[in-house]
Amino acid sequence: MSTSLIALAAALAIAFSTIGPAIGQGMTAKAAMESIARQPDAAKDIRSTLIISMALMEALTIYGLLIAFMLVSKI
Amino acid sequence: MGEASEVVIKLFGFLDVTGEVIAMWIILGIIAILSLIVKSILKEKPGKFQNIIEWFVEYLDNFFTDLLGKKKARQNFTFLASLFIFIIFGNYSGLIPGVGMTDYVKAPTASLSVTIALGVIVFVFLQVSGLKHGVKHYFKRFVSPIFIMLPLLVLDEFIKPASLALRLYGNIFGEEMVTHQLYEILPIGAPVVMMALSLLFCALQAMVFTMLVSIYLDEATEEE
Repeated sequence: MSTSLIALAAALAIAFSTIGPAIGQGMTAKAAMESIARQPDAAKDIRSTLIISMALMEALTIYGLLIAFMLVSKI
Repeated sequence: MGEASEVVIKLFGFLDVTGEVIAMWIILGIIAILSLIVKSILKEKPGKFQNIIEWFVEYLDNFFTDLLGKKKARQNFTFLASLFIFIIFGNYSGLIPGVGMTDYVKAPTASLSVTIALGVIVFVFLQVSGLKHGVKHYFKRFVSPIFIMLPLLVLDEFIKPASLALRLYGNIFGEEMVTHQLYEILPIGAPVVMMALSLLFCALQAMVFTMLVSIYLDEATEEE
């Protein structure tokens, strides 16, 4: 019983922590692409800012992933 | 997390040498030998190999100059560039077939201990360069907009390196795990897909790590 609950918890941890950052990253990429299309000269600056903001959002998913790995190792 | 690495050698009876440490020794050896070779063939008129190395150093120089400005980038170039080179070698070492399958050689950045050590180094570096920049300025930064922010800003100083360490560890460890799972499903062919993606992600993670360090450094040594 508890094993299956842990498995479920691990799946939910990674699933829910992916949803939010995925939406955020999609919106960020959309905005960056629009601004690059409008101003191709600023592409370099936009790209580096894009990577930083993507990395900060990615961190949230990684925390979920770590929790999922921790839970899986308890089974 | 929690998973302790196998101790493969007991050096002098009390120093625990794990697979990660051996991998780091190999990486250090490769970097040192590469530097010695480059140093010995330096010429006024660069050859092919020197051109590649010069391109790489120039790329790093431009990368930090864009983030920090000329003066600060030159001052801290050695630390930031060594960090970048070490992390990128550590990340790519996990892609060599066989690494991670044995206890003797493991990708160093896929271990939480190594990335936390890097985080601690970055923490000390940031504090020292902040203090060097100006003691008054350093303490003023903690109460800069309003006094109530003090606990949050002090906490922030500790969260920065912790999040750096966790991000690097999580990304590289996650990639290794996914590659391993794909290997279990279909040993020939399937892991290649993830490894091709890892080629991109490994370089990106090293870049993100150093980029964030330089941004934090820029914050810590801000001109008024």
